[in-house]
Amino acid sequence: MLKRPLAIFVCLLLTLPLAAEDRVRFSRDVLPILTENCFACHGPDESQRKADLRLDTREGALTVLSLEKPAESELLARVLAVDDEVVMPPPASHKKRLTKRQVETLRRWIEAGAPWGKHWAFEKPVQVDPPKIAAHPIDAFVRARLAEEGLALSARAARHTLARRVSFDLTGLPPSTSELDEFLKDDSNLAYERFVDRLLASEHFGERLAMWWLDAARYSDTDGFQGDATRTNWPWRDWVIGAFNRNLPFDQFTIEQFAGDLLPNATPEQRLATCFHRNHMTNGEGGRDPEESRIDYVIDRVSTTGTLWLGLTLGCCQCHSHKYDPITQRDFYSLTAFFNSIDEDGKASTAAKPYLSYQSPLAAWAVQEAQELVDQRKPREAQARTAAEAPFADWLIARAAEVKGGFQAWHPLVNAELESIEGTQLSQIADGTVQASGANPRQDDYRLAAAVKLSRVTGLKLEVLPHDSHSGGGLSRGQSGEFILTDIKVQVRRRGSSQIRDLLVASAVANVSTEQKDARSYGDIKGVLDDDPRNGWTTKGHDSKQPHVAVFALAEPLELETDEELVFELRQRSTDGDANIGRFRVSVTDQAGATVRSIDTPLLEQLAAVKLSELAQLDSKLREKLFDQFLADHEPYQVEKAALDRATRQLSEVQNGAKKIDVMVLAERAEPRPTHVLLRGVWDKKGEIVPRDVPAAIAAWTAEEPRTREQLARWIVSRDNPLAARVIVNHFWQMLFGTGLVRTTEDFGLQGERPTHPELLDWLAVDFMEHGWDIKRLLKLIVTSETYQQSSSVSAALLARDPENRLLARGSRFRLPSWMLRDAALKSSGLLNPALGGPPVRPYQPDGVWEEMFMGRFKYEPSEGAAQHRRTLYAFWRRAIAPTFLFDSAQRRVCEVRPSRTNTPLQALTLLNDANYLAAARALAGHALQAGADPPTRLTEITRRVVSRPPTPRETTILERELERAMTYFRTHPADARKFLSQTNYQRTEQSQPDAEFAAYTLVASLILNLDEALNHE
Amino acid sequence: MSNNLINSSLEAAIDVTRRHFLGRGIGLSIGAAALSQLLARNGLAGNAANESLAVGLPHFAARAKRVIFLTQSGGPSQIELYDEKPGLREWAGKELPDSVRQGQRLTTMTASQKQLVMPSRARFRRCGESGATVGEWLPHLAKVADELCFIKSMHTDQINHAPAMTQFLTGNQIPGKPSIGTWISYGLGSENRNLPDYLVMISKMQRPSDQPLYDHYWGSGFLPSRYQGVKLRNAREPVLYLRDPDGVPRELRRGMLDGLAELNQQHLAETGDPEIATRIRQYEMSYRMQSSVPELIDLSDETDATFQLYGPDSRRPGSYAANCILARRLAERDVRFIQLFHPDWDHHSRLPSWCTARCRDVDQPTAGLITDLKQRGLLNDTLVIWGGEFGRGVAGQGQWDSPEAGRDHHPRCFTMWLAGGGVKPGLTYGSTDDFSYNTAENPVHVRDLHATVLHLLGIDHERLTHRFQGLDFKLTGVEPARVVTELFA
Repeated sequence: MLKRPLAIFVCLLLTLPLAAEDRVRFSRDVLPILTENCFACHGPDESQRKADLRLDTREGALTVLSLEKPAESELLARVLAVDDEVVMPPPASHKKRLTKRQVETLRRWIEAGAPWGKHWAFEKPVQVDPPKIAAHPIDAFVRARLAEEGLALSARAARHTLARRVSFDLTGLPPSTSELDEFLKDDSNLAYERFVDRLLASEHFGERLAMWWLDAARYSDTDGFQGDATRTNWPWRDWVIGAFNRNLPFDQFTIEQFAGDLLPNATPEQRLATCFHRNHMTNGEGGRDPEESRIDYVIDRVSTTGTLWLGLTLGCCQCHSHKYDPITQRDFYSLTAFFNSIDEDGKASTAAKPYLSYQSPLAAWAVQEAQELVDQRKPREAQARTAAEAPFADWLIARAAEVKGGFQAWHPLVNAELESIEGTQLSQIADGTVQASGANPRQDDYRLAAAVKLSRVTGLKLEVLPHDSHSGGGLSRGQSGEFILTDIKVQVRRRGSSQIRDLLVASAVANVSTEQKDARSYGDIKGVLDDDPRNGWTTKGHDSKQPHVAVFALAEPLELETDEELVFELRQRSTDGDANIGRFRVSVTDQAGATVRSIDTPLLEQLAAVKLSELAQLDSKLREKLFDQFLADHEPYQVEKAALDRATRQLSEVQNGAKKIDVMVLAERAEPRPTHVLLRGVWDKKGEIVPRDVPAAIAAWTAEEPRTREQLARWIVSRDNPLAARVIVNHFWQMLFGTGLVRTTEDFGLQGERPTHPELLDWLAVDFMEHGWDIKRLLKLIVTSETYQQSSSVSAALLARDPENRLLARGSRFRLPSWMLRDAALKSSGLLNPALGGPPVRPYQPDGVWEEMFMGRFKYEPSEGAAQHRRTLYAFWRRAIAPTFLFDSAQRRVCEVRPSRTNTPLQALTLLNDANYLAAARALAGHALQAGADPPTRLTEITRRVVSRPPTPRETTILERELERAMTYFRTHPADARKFLSQTNYQRTEQSQPDAEFAAYTLVASLILNLDEALNHE
Repeated sequence: MSNNLINSSLEAAIDVTRRHFLGRGIGLSIGAAALSQLLARNGLAGNAANESLAVGLPHFAARAKRVIFLTQSGGPSQIELYDEKPGLREWAGKELPDSVRQGQRLTTMTASQKQLVMPSRARFRRCGESGATVGEWLPHLAKVADELCFIKSMHTDQINHAPAMTQFLTGNQIPGKPSIGTWISYGLGSENRNLPDYLVMISKMQRPSDQPLYDHYWGSGFLPSRYQGVKLRNAREPVLYLRDPDGVPRELRRGMLDGLAELNQQHLAETGDPEIATRIRQYEMSYRMQSSVPELIDLSDETDATFQLYGPDSRRPGSYAANCILARRLAERDVRFIQLFHPDWDHHSRLPSWCTARCRDVDQPTAGLITDLKQRGLLNDTLVIWGGEFGRGVAGQGQWDSPEAGRDHHPRCFTMWLAGGGVKPGLTYGSTDDFSYNTAENPVHVRDLHATVLHLLGIDHERLTHRFQGLDFKLTGVEPARVVTELFA
């Protein structure tokens, strides 16, 4: 019943029909057809132009039009042709034939005399009076468009929905229950406006807008290439937050970021602002020519400017003139000229000058916070140490008694299974010594596998032994009698199982070891740990007739199961070759501390030499060492020690951030560089020299202004520029409605989409400029419209008529960005640390994520204490691997302005299992338990915090059922309840609550955090 | 609202949305594949397991259904591994003639050094019936050489790692374009409802790599992020966030998801947004993945014979060899694009010892994979690709005749091989000059390789496009690319 009229409607809506009375308009009707079908070969790009025909100028087009006899126009003949050789566009282009309607449009246009015009976005916006059908200008334009379709605005959204919606839009956070109550209690007409004003005045406003800007500005805390070195540009991020909070007009905001350094009496903050144009990736790869990199950066700046301010895909013009828009390759390089004389040399990492040495005023509190954490943990560590003295005394007596008859720390691996890859024969004698004989290949790997009798293994010892059968009685059968061990591996093998696991070796020491600087020669014992055959251990140059010894500490003590064996592999793959070990012995120990970290006599062996009666007078140094060895194994102490160490590292990190740090900024060279057109965009293929200039098709340069970056910025935000205000207004529209009035936020050019409400877009753009580019004013104007405040519920009929809500007959419903989801979880759970600015922090992320990417070069240590609960905006951004708890986020490599919104199972897993959300769920459970005694009150507390409304009775029924299910389980499985609760660092303070109850509420809180309503802009 | 009513109003909405997209109005220029994605997202594709319905993909009969891409990061040396140049011995230590070099760019690492020829440090054998040349450091691969299809005349534009690898995998040296795996899974959709379409595995190495593997190598660029490669990790959690928290057993999670679905159904009835129905399905799929992934990575059902085939390293989880076994398991499960990364092929120095170490890592497992795919009947429709972002130069880096010598990057020619999936076994295609410096016959650019791989999967590279920033992007970019049909069986 519904379907037929709907199908017709959809057609009408999408093909922009030509009703009989409707005049053909060039820009709206004809230009899109030419752009889509003809410009690739007959457009502005000369290099691709075919048949010397251009259809992007009227002059060119007239050569294939016949105004006297329109039907005989070559253009029409070609698009109507049947012959594949003749028809346009040609089949090889994979473009479809023009539709009848399109041909008809062209015919009527020619009949009308082929009027010409500019693409809409290149005409200056003109403000027309809103239709007189609504008080609010936005509603007037939207209603007028809806009326054409026989539609109307939807009803206003429920107040709690509205509060939540606008709170997310303006601060990126949901309202707290008290903020919500205050709004709901206020029944005056002005309640909503007052609520909006409070949000605009909040410091969270600047943070919310900054996240938008950081994504577009490709802001990151690392370089992005090669070593992905850390940079310290975060004071710029804080400058952006501050600029939005003090409502710096957008034109000034632009000028300072382009040219703060060139302003008269530039303040440090104005110079800081120019970091915007240094946020690009930098490449310090070894073989890279820095000049090539520098040119990449210059081009990146122009592309970013094009996308973000002009809504143009200027990047296309790096290699050729634009295929669709009236921008030539020369225009492009003329724009790069403004950025080509920055005092930079294309280097990366810590050599990416120019820098501003800047001390952030926003780091002090972070230092204080970190210091508090250290102060809090220090006495606990000391206390744990003191508390360990008593058990140590007992331990010492027990050990002394135990070792009385002599003590042996190291136990040789005997009865080993021996193997060599290349054919050396290995045989073992009773004391564990292994002798090589038979073939003597240039290189070989030895593998030794044996059962271990110790209850645990903390380290291994390798003795390399001389023997008469070796060359010159030395250490190997190689010509020189010297050995080279390139790498070792320690593994565990389970009998009958298919798999082997690697053990991490934490350190290696040897009696003789030569430190190597270049990692490409032999000598250093540490070289055996890196799986790199270009370095390794040799004792060459020392006495080869003496045994040599190396000791390896395992990163974690190993406890072997009865059916497991230890595998020790010696790899001898040096380039020199002929240096395989001739005789050796491998031993293991269960002793922690100095035994496995030095080659000194093990402490307990020293202790064995002491008489029991003299234990009280034990040498204080030895006693101290023994105490250290005891502590290394004393779990209660280690927990406190590790916590203190982490806090100390965090403190020193933020202390560094509080000092003067280098921020990458713009500064002009004394001597400007000449700028060339680069042939096909290749950095060293230099074409003609071009002056600094702007594309005339957008707006011509006014002759008298000096050609500086400052004036370029002023040109961008001048009233003569048809693009910037429209583009930025569209950004804000997208922020509030999920989609822009022009859906292609990044492309206002001929290939972009036309605005759904062109007059509204222009009205807003002009209004924005006329009111001093006042962002807060613009946002308030939009959010106070009825259009914005509509309910987002949609009937099947309306959904069918307008599936994507292009006509705005309802409120916008879309999934919140993932950073906002984390922030919302922090705020609703009360965990949020609202501090503003400062050095980056590290929210929870699964173990090993950085290590995998960099093969262990970087380790991610989550922030501790209050720093863990900062907004996502402050999360350290590593370009090579963005924070894993985010999805659909901008990648921060190049400028990105349109959000991606997908819906995947991996997102579900993140929201269900990520520690950030589990911590929030636990905190919510804590609040629930304090809110009252009965389940409905408690469930209401969680629901209100998360979705800003109480649950309906039906929802309460379901939630109670889930609570009961979880409670039943955890009551019968208390160990699981504790395990579940212990998974985040959240400190439980509600000691009175039984674990089962706490765990059950946590699980239900996690469910509520995963409600579709919790994830959406409703 | 009863469930029936919800469903019927949803169906009505869906029906219209489907025609709305199929109608392809002005201003809604979405690619064919994106269309099916939208349909699928909105639950419009009748069969979620195969989303490429009704949009003309594949463009023609596919010779391969899936890809295993064995990516060797760092630039393996074709001169030691595949491209035999016996004549170089006479040039040992002499300067490379200018007529060969032709002013070719060097990296700044060797630009100031004399280009003295270093003959291959490895000996070569002619293998099998095809007589293909394989260096002595790859003895196992030599045994399966008759299954391989060598391209000796590969070339690329980039001389440094990150730009070259980015071009090698995304068609463009600037990060941000979709990777080849993304394009393919986007174009063809999935045949497995319980696993992602595109999985990535990185060998676990002991030394920090000089060339990190950026996640944009398997990124989705401007295509929907659900098509990006999902990293299968060698960790307690093979896919990030896959594990439920400790203490929460499956039955409890099941109950919680049921409650969640029930509440979301209610919300769907109130708001009418079909995206909620999709979300409910995605939570269900996440639950299924929690069993399908652990089942996938659990190698306990593999026989000893299999481990022997892939070599001793295959018993070590996270190794390239273990990942090769996983690749076969993924192929068995019809995952569309399977990509392995093996780092550390950047042998600027001590090439004889360093390069052999990497050869040892990959030789037996790779040969094992080929043999295993064949014996299981999977090689016919699985395309295996082996290669890195560029090759290495004929001149020695450092003192050419010392053990310390290595080779610098070289983009003008390098060797790759393909196997299975519709390519000619035992073929050697293309050649290089006497110095393995320039391509001599039948050059194959990286974009030609891309066009060829797409073609083998039934995709016309000119027609798999996506409109972004006003342009129709494709994997092969703007320069013309050639499908190398001579490689086809």
